[in-house]
Amino acid sequence: MRLLKDQQRVASGYFDTTIYLDGIAGTGKTTAAIERVKELIRSGVPADSILIWVPQANLAMPYRRALQRARIDADTNVPTTTIGKLAYEMTDLFWPLISDDEKFNFGDKFGRPNFLSLELVQYYMTKFLGPEIELRDYFNSVHISRNRLYTQIVDNLNKAALVRFEPDKIGDRLKDALGDSVEQSYIYDDAQETASLFRQRCLEHNLLDFSLQVELFVNHLWPLEQVQNYLTRKYRHLIVDNVEEDTPASHDILRDWLPQTDSALLISDTGGGYRRFLGADPINAETLCDQCQVHITLDNHRVMSKELVALHDQLDFSLDPSKTDEPQSDADARDAIAYAPDINYQPQMIAWAAEHIASLVHDQGVPASEIVIMAPYMPDALRFSLQRELDAQQVPHRSHRPSRALREETASRTLLTLARLAHPHWNLPPNKFDVGYALAASINELDLIRARLLADVLYRNGKLAPFTGIKNDALTQRITFDLGMRYQVLFDWLQAYQAQDPLPLDIFFSKLFGEVLSQKGFGFHGQTDAANIAANLIDSAQAFRQTVSEIEPNLDIPTEYVKMVEEGVIANQYLRDWEDDQRDAVLIAPAYTFLLTNQPVDYQFWLNVGSSGWAQRLYQPLTHPYVLSRQWQSGRRWTENEEDEAHRQTLAYMALGLIRRCRKQIYLGFSQYSEQGYEQRGDLLMAIQTMLRRLNRSDAHA
Amino acid sequence: MNHLPEDFIFSQSSLQDYVDCPRRFQLKYLLRQRYPAPEVDDLLEFERRMAQGERFHHLLHQHAVGLPAEVLQKRIDDDEVRRWFDTYLANGLNDVPERRYPEYSLTIPLGAYRLLAKFDLLALSDDKALIIDWKTSRHVPRRDRLQKRLQTIVYRYVLAKGGTALNGGQPIPPEQIEMRYWYADHEGQLVSFAYDAAQFEADEHYLTCLVREIEERERFPLTDDTTRCAYCTYRSLCERGITAGPLDEWELDEPTDLDELDFDFDQIAEIEF
Ligand code: SF4
Repeated sequence: MRLLKDQQRVASGYFDTTIYLDGIAGTGKTTAAIERVKELIRSGVPADSILIWVPQANLAMPYRRALQRARIDADTNVPTTTIGKLAYEMTDLFWPLISDDEKFNFGDKFGRPNFLSLELVQYYMTKFLGPEIELRDYFNSVHISRNRLYTQIVDNLNKAALVRFEPDKIGDRLKDALGDSVEQSYIYDDAQETASLFRQRCLEHNLLDFSLQVELFVNHLWPLEQVQNYLTRKYRHLIVDNVEEDTPASHDILRDWLPQTDSALLISDTGGGYRRFLGADPINAETLCDQCQVHITLDNHRVMSKELVALHDQLDFSLDPSKTDEPQSDADARDAIAYAPDINYQPQMIAWAAEHIASLVHDQGVPASEIVIMAPYMPDALRFSLQRELDAQQVPHRSHRPSRALREETASRTLLTLARLAHPHWNLPPNKFDVGYALAASINELDLIRARLLADVLYRNGKLAPFTGIKNDALTQRITFDLGMRYQVLFDWLQAYQAQDPLPLDIFFSKLFGEVLSQKGFGFHGQTDAANIAANLIDSAQAFRQTVSEIEPNLDIPTEYVKMVEEGVIANQYLRDWEDDQRDAVLIAPAYTFLLTNQPVDYQFWLNVGSSGWAQRLYQPLTHPYVLSRQWQSGRRWTENEEDEAHRQTLAYMALGLIRRCRKQIYLGFSQYSEQGYEQRGDLLMAIQTMLRRLNRSDAHA
Repeated sequence: MNHLPEDFIFSQSSLQDYVDCPRRFQLKYLLRQRYPAPEVDDLLEFERRMAQGERFHHLLHQHAVGLPAEVLQKRIDDDEVRRWFDTYLANGLNDVPERRYPEYSLTIPLGAYRLLAKFDLLALSDDKALIIDWKTSRHVPRRDRLQKRLQTIVYRYVLAKGGTALNGGQPIPPEQIEMRYWYADHEGQLVSFAYDAAQFEADEHYLTCLVREIEERERFPLTDDTTRCAYCTYRSLCERGITAGPLDEWELDEPTDLDELDFDFDQIAEIEF
């Protein structure tokens, strides 16, 4: 791609100073930054002295790909990081500098840190807080699930670390701004108590969750000369992308670091800040502009068609009551959108979307990867329906689900059911339905009906019986000898296993997978997805065992793990899930997830346009993204007006951000009634209708 | 037909896998197929050794960034690792030049792709460039075997080809390069390999041909050496056996390809649930 003049300045100039680069999405900021990295390397700068810093790991992917493809006759292995990764690496490396410091009170001052994955955070939340919540009747007026309670407690601790206030001030901040009623104040007190208790227990056991890693790094390691020298001497050139999506903790480190670099490029996406709910602070990011010697703004939009630019401006006008001058566009905003009028119910909307996608892919030759389908939330039911319709239309699709319960996957459920069968001493016998299901998934060609028959006859009192246990010839024939023998192989393996000392669960899974389930004739043989899920489950069980056995060597680890999974623990996120997500397929994702991939596409399908979810935050009674931000002035009260303004802003950011990431057209899908049968009249729909009426009126006047 | 993605990166482990078994290379790196069967029979012992190896490498990294040895020694709770660390302190850094780069990675172009090397330690002086690989394996392999391993070939070649930025903008002459395997479990026994221009040319030819061969392959056949399958997680997929081979007879006795930490420790918000 040819660079424009200002992009060129960014790419090949100012190698000895600091630049602040801004502009809306699609103006080529990242493209210019990638070229800058290449130029730095070509000029002799060692690749490993450049650091690419992004707010979340997947945003570094365009850099990695471009550098891997670059035709440069030198090393291009430029490290990439996030505040989380940096905090983890520095805490791991320099742990001995802080672990025996009295002020932290770590339980084992000379022991190693135990880094908590997402799964383990959930486990220890349940373990440390569950009994206390029961005993002290915390949150008795809050009616949301335990998992959601825990996530909000974690969220509060994360905010304290990322915004940099004391974790024991969470409750006070929330109460001062929002504690109107006694009941609400109690909730914030309980939120404080539970957060403090979790932190205290983590310190006792050297358990480091994300918030503690960030806190240790930002507040205690970074100020040490040895650590700061290590980082600032190693990385002489910084490229910080999407600084507006990053947090005050990152900004503070950068503020110290900038004067110590040879060069730095800070990139801000004007109008961004989508990660506010994760502590992103675009206003704080702007203060870094003053720290930079050069300020460049890119304003030449290279993504949106002129119709989409018109749509962007018109919708912006509709969404912002402070704007008085109607935008003048040289194209018709209506040409940028397509919609089906008169759809009453969601299934019709889904069918409409799938038909149009099929036509784009099959008739117009649009690559499937240039299409995204999104909704404010993507519940399983909606996702499954979309997948089914797209399958029927033979359109490849992929779905990025940021959070998935481990137990949801067939392969994991199968392994867990077989584990229960193989360990009768756990006293966790699976139910007959699960046994039938597991047999169908384990034995190739065994359908669910025959698998259930097998379970009916051969599964009694928590135990399987051999195939020869079937005395009914008709049934034996119906199952077939061949499938019966495969059942017998599985049965024999489980019997032989029980004759030995039990193995750790992950090792049991691995052997069962390798020696039976993935052998020819069995359900996992050559099944890519099942093997992948099994691999994730094995990693998860292994990490669980390694950490938990360190903390409580006498605990019955396998049953603890099984219970945790059954309770719906959300699986760890792996970077490889993003990396592997490169297939030519239509992406199905929540709107935020798409926005945060920061990759434009040709066509977007917005579903449930009438939903209020486009503007409203989730109901989060224990936390608050605005009050726990650095922009919040202590002592103020959060008002209803502010709540309304926050909704409006959320919607505007989201809708305009999406339009800026579209090249050709947006399809608007709305049904009069939601899945639950309510009429849908959300703010996004209202704004679009207002815009259309205004445009139609000006046509009439003309 | 070329199956390789444009941004493919070769490494010593992927090339070694290819040389050992083209099908394994295809499954692991092209199809990125995970297949979590056991690699060896005694997985717990295997895991223990891997953890010891990781712990040892981590200690050396901490020492290299300036943490005092006594501070680190106080925190070692494994006798074997302590013995290894003491051995390292006694002789691991003998004749090692002062300009040191621990845990250093380099990539260089190789054909239309890139080749990556991850060095445990690079140490440079005006007339010497030393690559050290810390080994914690129980056996010291035969010299002729080590010489043929892709690690020996790739590491020296990558440094000669890509070390320019570390050497004041000048390529490092092959004659200055030495690759040193240091065996912690054998009192720091060394197996060293010098380098020269002729070997560099031979390696370049070999590696380029290897990559071209991979690029042009229509099929990725299963290895003829079926003993390898006993230690390969794909054995059921290839229908090459049921159980994993004994750990004690495993040729390498050390994992060469420690998977990088892949967790996303970053926070996840409730809105994503
Ligand atoms: S099982 Fe054998 S043939 Fe199959 S990939 Fe492994 S080494 Fe190659």
